[in-house]
This record gives sequence, structure tokens and C-alpha cells, in this order.
Amino acid sequence: MSMVYSVSELIAIAGGYLLFLFFVAWITERGWLPAHWVRHPAVYVFSLGVYASAWAVYGSVGYAYQYGYNFLSYFLGISGVFLLAPILLAPILRLTATYQLSSLADLFAFRYRSRMAGAMTTIIMLIGVLPLLALQLKAVAESIQILSGTDDPRSLAAGFCMMMVIFAILFGARHATAREKHEGLVVAIATESLIKLVAFGAVALLGLYGVFDGPESLGQWLDDHPEMLSRLYYPLQDGTWHSMIMAFFVSAVVLPHMFYMAFTENLNPRALITASWALPLMFLVMALCVPVILWAAAASNAPTSPDYYALGIGLVTGGHGAVLGYLAGLAGASGMLIVATLALSGMCLNHLVLPASPLHQGQNLYRNLLWTRRILIAAILALAYLFYRFTGAGHTLVELGVLSFVATLQFVPGLIGALFWPSGNRNGLFAGLTVGFLCWLLLLLLPITYPSWQLPQLMELLGMRFHTGPDQWHHVAIASVSANALVFAIVSIVTPMSRAEKNAAEACAVDSLRRPYRWELEAKSVDDFIDALSQPLGPITATREVEMALRDLRLPRTETRPYALRRLRDQLETNLSGLLGPSVSHQLMDDHLPYLPEEEQSSSEDIQFIESRLEQYRDRLSGLAAELDGLRRFHRQTLLELPMGVISLGADDEIIGWNQAMEALTNISAADTIGSRLSDLVDPWGEFFTRFSRDDNPHQPQLSLEVQGQTRWLSLHKSSVMGIGTAEQAGGQVLVIEDITELRHMEAHLAHNERLASIGRLAAGVAHEIGNPVTAIACLAQNLDSESDAEEQLETSQQILEQTRRITRIVESLVTFSHSGGIKQSAHHVPVNVRDTVDEAISLLLLDPDHRLQQFENHCASDGWAHGDPQRLLQVFINLLGNAADACTAEQAIRIYCEETEAYLEVRVEDQGHGIPEGMHDTLFEPFATSKAPGRGTGLGLALVYSIIEEHFGSISVESPICDAGGTRFIIRLPIHAASL
Amino acid sequence: MYTDRLLIIFILGTYLLSPAIIDWWSEGGRAWYRPYLIWLGLIALSYWIAKSKDVDGL
Repeated sequence: MSMVYSVSELIAIAGGYLLFLFFVAWITERGWLPAHWVRHPAVYVFSLGVYASAWAVYGSVGYAYQYGYNFLSYFLGISGVFLLAPILLAPILRLTATYQLSSLADLFAFRYRSRMAGAMTTIIMLIGVLPLLALQLKAVAESIQILSGTDDPRSLAAGFCMMMVIFAILFGARHATAREKHEGLVVAIATESLIKLVAFGAVALLGLYGVFDGPESLGQWLDDHPEMLSRLYYPLQDGTWHSMIMAFFVSAVVLPHMFYMAFTENLNPRALITASWALPLMFLVMALCVPVILWAAAASNAPTSPDYYALGIGLVTGGHGAVLGYLAGLAGASGMLIVATLALSGMCLNHLVLPASPLHQGQNLYRNLLWTRRILIAAILALAYLFYRFTGAGHTLVELGVLSFVATLQFVPGLIGALFWPSGNRNGLFAGLTVGFLCWLLLLLLPITYPSWQLPQLMELLGMRFHTGPDQWHHVAIASVSANALVFAIVSIVTPMSRAEKNAAEACAVDSLRRPYRWELEAKSVDDFIDALSQPLGPITATREVEMALRDLRLPRTETRPYALRRLRDQLETNLSGLLGPSVSHQLMDDHLPYLPEEEQSSSEDIQFIESRLEQYRDRLSGLAAELDGLRRFHRQTLLELPMGVISLGADDEIIGWNQAMEALTNISAADTIGSRLSDLVDPWGEFFTRFSRDDNPHQPQLSLEVQGQTRWLSLHKSSVMGIGTAEQAGGQVLVIEDITELRHMEAHLAHNERLASIGRLAAGVAHEIGNPVTAIACLAQNLDSESDAEEQLETSQQILEQTRRITRIVESLVTFSHSGGIKQSAHHVPVNVRDTVDEAISLLLLDPDHRLQQFENHCASDGWAHGDPQRLLQVFINLLGNAADACTAEQAIRIYCEETEAYLEVRVEDQGHGIPEGMHDTLFEPFATSKAPGRGTGLGLALVYSIIEEHFGSISVESPICDAGGTRFIIRLPIHAASL
Repeated sequence: MYTDRLLIIFILGTYLLSPAIIDWWSEGGRAWYRPYLIWLGLIALSYWIAKSKDVDGL
């Protein structure tokens, strides 16, 4: 009672299904699906379901029929790999993401620094995967054949193949580079997996409830047919189980479609952790369906071969159940075909086409790449069809699948070497791959495809007995991969390794950190980069690529620091690797952006880069390494926060350290400095530090430097840093810079105060000693005055009295000054109105006959309140105004201004007088400095003013001349009274 | 250094226990789903590790 479908109906279902998938991809790329859906770990997990191709849906049932529980190894192998994802897959993901490696061939070409490794991987992968591609075509064609009853599956396969070419191009080859992630493809493949899972599960449920009456009935049937169970269990006894699971375990990751989905199209690295349990769960569900389908089909005598039992159940139970099986198989086959073809086309482009043909210049580069890729997709699918047409049609799905799995197994020694064995080299890889591939070719491919192949007889001649063929395939798998690994190891050990390869090996090794050397580039600027790359890429592409790399690194176009240019070169190589593959990109960089020859430069390790890498590795350190890293951070922080400037220099004067104190001192940030040469610093720093670093004297206690019009005093020390191990690290220097400008100012201030204090002490002594004789003289003169009437004598005594008064005045000033300069008076500061104080000073001065006619203009506002001692401030203004009046004629007005700033009251006293002589500016506020005629001034007035202002925590400065005719301006800053703020 | 010690112990343990597991499995008879139970156990363990692991390293 089987339901028969027409071919056109089945093709319409396939076309409709693929169009639906394309629609999903299209709306994703349009951004119609929320980004958090697209990047959800579940999408990644389902997209990895691409592993379950038509083999899982059809082949594994046939496999279970033939080899019992061994069918589980296909599902358990991949589950094992993902259960160990943090160890096995995370390092690969990190490598592929960091270096833009889009396939296993890219990884090998990068790790083994060889075009040949990439090309060889590509060719072997292509040949190895062809049977698996052919399996998909065969499965779809034969399922249509079974459901429709036509007898020409080959033309159906051809039609399906063409459909796949179109969809593969639509899904994945609309952009030129693998650099952009194909979000649409990922979501479409995830949808595909979901449909496959649901359809396959539905077939199993159909078997369980349509053929049997539920689990109990199934159990009953198994009791009645114990041969079905014993058939399932037999491989557990014969030992093939271990080798089988091992083979599937390791080949799962290197399959091109798995590598592509898991690493190249990974949108969210953390999703790998989710996949470590979710993907095994998904395959558990699929694997659980397999025996149920097998038994249901067997119980119902399904009219198909065991390979197609998933269809058979539907045919037996009637309804549209068969379409479910067809849809599951179609989903598995199309998903795998699209992704594997995309991955293989990328590999062929990067490792076969591009290295063989010179690059096309100009803006067409991207378009040429795109079209080459499309042609490759068509060619690969055509090859798969040809394989199916000429050899595949006569073989079971199991045979075809086995061929591919054993072939891809040959990459495992190379992959393990790349990740975990830094000593493995390209010679070992070539030799191992060749041996493994030949084993596969001679012992598996030829015996399966040409049963008349005579190798076994040849081996018997050599005295060996070896049964080959699908029954014995696990022997071939283990033998070929063991020979491969052994040869890889031996050849790697006995042959030498190039320096570039060693570097790449360290970059790939799981447990080590890449230690790059600071080689110097020939190109000195970003424009040099563009010029150099214009030759192979054309000016437009070159500019675009360089600008993109600059953007990735967030560097400005004006960048010239050697460190930054090295990073730019690395980034360009990585980006071009995404476009052209790692080997072409590496060659391009070596040819057009070379480093200087080794003899012309002193290379040393790039400490800066190592540090930045260590920062990234931080979370991965544990135990002793984490402790050491903690210690490193502590020391680094100590150096950074040291309150003295520290510059560390490499042997070639490249700055590798610049701490916070240096940033504060020079106003140049570490990010702008590190990686440049000392001499490239802006002046005056560049020349200043370079001179000191080349100087023989390791200490310069006091050096002055003019910075933006101000003099800075710096104390410099240096010492050379000797090699800490490897010879490359030797020859650096560390400079320690101490800013002693503040100290110098303080010293000058202290010296001035000390001078004032000593004069004060002297003055007090002198005043005391002079006071007594002067009083005596004054008394005697008064006596003389009263005792005599003689005119001449009276005049003399008057003059003596006048002169003694003058001496007394000077002595009083000295005493006042000495008190104020010596012991600080306990200040009883009150609000002082500046305008009133100035007015009082003016009125006092106008009493003096010398100043009676002097013009004073008080421009102070009435609301200016200073905080201080009114009497002493009055003294300040009397002294300043008196001095001004002495310097002016009566017509020259003396103006007083007062202005409030944020914290100070600024009082300016301006006159139009003769000004202060040039040489007096420095000593103006020192005692006994006067420009007045002898006898007119004591030279103590301004010194007194200075000390009073100091006592008030203010400051005083002078400007002279202030106009053409001369003039003087005293500027006093006094603290504002708090209440007026 | 970064390799998860727990996972290494787990792999070694699985390898050492595998004969016992295979025996238990092959004596299953009608309980043909026994390997799936082991498998489910591994998934649960992996889920627990993924939950407790600091995934910032990725």
C-alpha cells in the first residue's frame, strides 16, 4: 500500500524546501531577524548539525543493520570531540579567529609556513571528500527513485547537482571574502538541522507507534526476535568498536563542512561552550531514532534496502510519512553539500588557484575572486557528480562514507602536531600525509572502486596478509593513520625547521606564547605601505586594505612608530589572509613589505607585544603561571605609578616603557610614545633625552630645560639593562627622570626668607645700639637749643634735632621690619574694606607737605573685602602710594584699582612716574634696595610690604615700565574675606 | 597551564573504565538503550562543567 509520488512532485518539494531555506538566509541578511536570535548559541549548535548529512538519515540505518552498534560511533565520535571542546576546539577557534584562517588548509599553510602544505591539504581533502559528496547526490537521487519508481537515478542526481550549484552560490558566494561572516547561511543551516531533526524524529515515532504500538510492543517484538538484538551487540565483542569510535572521533573536526561551520562561521565564540553539551544531546536524539527505525522497518518488511529504511517505514504505514524521511534526507544532503562545497571552493581558491596565477591588478580584484569562487563551486559539484556517475552508483552509502572518513583521518596527525607539538615540521607533514594518503588510495579506494585491483596479491608476494575492503576498513583506518603519524614524527625530528616555521609553530601551540622579534621594516610610513602594496593589488585595493587594517587597529593615518607599523603589517597579513589565503598573503608581505636585512638592525624581542598578548591570555593562566603573572602585574604597576619618570629603552632606542609620571611631566601619553624612537619625541624632549641617553655620564643632577616658555629643572639618571637570558634582549637602557623644578623654587624662596630674617636680626641689634646714642644726642641738642639764643646756634641745634628725628624714624622702621620679618605675629585678621583703607592711606599721605598736591585716584569698588590686619594693610598702601608719589610729579595721577578673582582680591597700584631701573627688579623687595636719592628713602618700605603681604598669604609682583614713558604697576593679591564670596 | 585538569582526569578515567562499561553495555539484552544512558550522563557532566566554567577565556 505504498504511496507513489511523481518525480515532479518530489522535485517541487526539494525546490520549495531550498527556496524556504534561502528565504530564511535572505531575511537574516536583511537584518529582519533580531541580532540576539542570530547570535544565540542555539543557532550555532543547530548549524553544527550539518555534520548529520544524508549518511546520518539513511546510511547510519544501513550501517546499524550491517554492523550493529558500530553505527553509534558516527554520532559518538563527533559528540566526544564536542564534549572535549574546551581542550580540542577552543584553541583551533582562537587560531582561526586571530589569523583569519578559514579552513584546515589555511591552518596548515599558516602553521607549517608552506604553500605546499596548503596545496597538498586541499588536493587530498578534495579527493577524500568526493565520495561523501557523491553519497549525498546518490542518497537524494535514490530516494526520489524509491518514492517515484523511476529507474534513472543518474539524471535525477545531475539535476539535483545543478540545483546545488545555484544554491551554494546564492548562500555563500555572493561576497568575495571569507572575512565577512555569512549570517544568513548560518541561520539557514541551523533551520535545515532543525527540520532534519524533527523529520527524522517523526519517522522514528511513526515506526514506534505506526508499526509497533509503542515502546512495550517494541520490547515484545525484540523478545520474539532475539537475533535482531544479538546482531546489534556483536561488534562489541570483536574489538572493532574501539578503532571505529577513534576514527570518527578524530575525523569529525577536519571534515571541511564541520571546520567551516564550527570555526569560520562562528558568530559567537562562547557558543562553543554551549555546543560542548548541546550538540552531543542533539546527536543523542538522532542516534536514538536509528535502532527504532531499523526495527520498525524490519518488523514491517519495508520494501527498501536497509539504507533507505527511513523511507520504507513511510511507504509501509502510508499517508505522507515517506515525505518526512525524504525531507530529512534532503535536508541532510543539501546542507552538507552547500557547506562542504563552499569550504572546498575557498580552499581551492586560496591554495591552488591564487598561488598558481598572478594577482590581477586594480579594483577588479574582489570581483575576480568572486567569480573564480563561483566557478570552483560548480567544478567541485561536477567532480562529485562524476565520481557518483562512474564509481559511486554501484556502491552502498556505507562504502562511500567510509572512504571519506578514512581519507580525512589522514589530517589528524598534522592537526595534533599543529596544536600540541611545536617541533612538528613541514617535512614531517608532507611525508606523513603522503604515506597516509597512499595507504588510503591503495588499500581502500582502489579495492572498493575497482574490485579487480590486485594489491592484496602483491602484498602476499611480500609475505603480508591483509584483507581490504569495506568489511575491514577499520584495519585500514588504523594502519594508515598510524603509519602517517609515525612518519610525521620521525621526519619532523630528523629534519631541520626554519625560523619562520618555528615562529608560526609557537603561535599555534596551545601552551606557549608567540615571541615576535622587533625587526625593522623598510617601509617607514603608512603611505609607504600603500605604495608597496599598490604594485600587486592596485592602488585602490591597496588603499582600501591599508585603511581597513588601520581601522582594525585604531591607528591614525599619520602613524610612523616602528611598533605600530609592525602591528599594521601583521594586521594586513591577517586581513589579506582572509581574502587570499595565508600562503599568498604571507608571500605578498615578504615580497612587498619586507623587513630590513638582519645584519642592518639589532633585533630584540618585542616586549610590548608580549605584554599585550599576556593581557589577553590572563584568564587562561592558572597555578604557578597565574602567580607569576600576578607578580609581573605588581612590578609593572609599581613602575607605572612610581612618582618619578621612568623610560625604558630597547637596544635600538625604541621606547618600550613610559610611566605615568612621564605622562604628567611631558603631557605625552604612553600610547603615543611606546614603540617610537627616543629621537622621534617632540622637541624639546626628543633631543634632550637622546643627548642624555648617549652621554657617558650616568647622572645629571640638575639640568634646565625650556618647556613652553617656562624653565624646568630636571635631575636625570640612567643605567643599562643587561640581557636577562637570551642575547636578543641585551643592550637596553632605563632612564629615571626627576622633576626638581618645585624644589628649586622652594630653595630660592627659603634663601630669600633667610636673607630677610638675618637682616631683620641685624637691624634689631643696630636699632638698639644706635637708639641710645641718638636719644642722648637729641637731648643734648634740645639742651643746646634752650640754653642759647644765638641765631646760628639755634639753627644748628634745630638741624641736629631734625637729623636725629630722621635717624629715629629709620631706626623705628628697622625695628618694625625686624619684628615683622622675625617672629610671625599672631594675626588677628578681620574683614578689611580695601577702598576705605586706600582712602585712609591717601588722606594720611596728603598731610605730608611733599605730597600735598599729588593726584590720587581711588578706583576700588566699595564691596571689595580682604581678609587681614587693617593697620598692617594700611601700612602697605602708605608705603606703596608714598613710593609712587615720590616717583611722580604732582600732575601724574596715581590710580588704584581693585578686582575680584575667584579666590583673590587683586589690587593694582599704577603710577606714570619714571619707573624702576632694569637692574633693580630682582632685588626690589630686599631690604635697603632703593632707587631714591640718598637720604630720601630707607630701602625698607618695599621689604616691609613684601613681608606683610606674605603674612597675609598673599603675593605681590611688579611690572615696570608699563608705558612708553615708564610707569610702574604693583599687583597685590590678597585673600578675599570669606563672607563676601 | 590552561588545560582543564578535570577533563584530563575524566578522559583517563573513561579510558580505564571502558572495559567495564563495555561489559555492562553488552550484557544489556532487552535494555538496548544502556549506551544512551552513559551518553546522557556525559552530556550532563559536560553541561555542569560548562555552567561552572569561567568562559571568559574564550
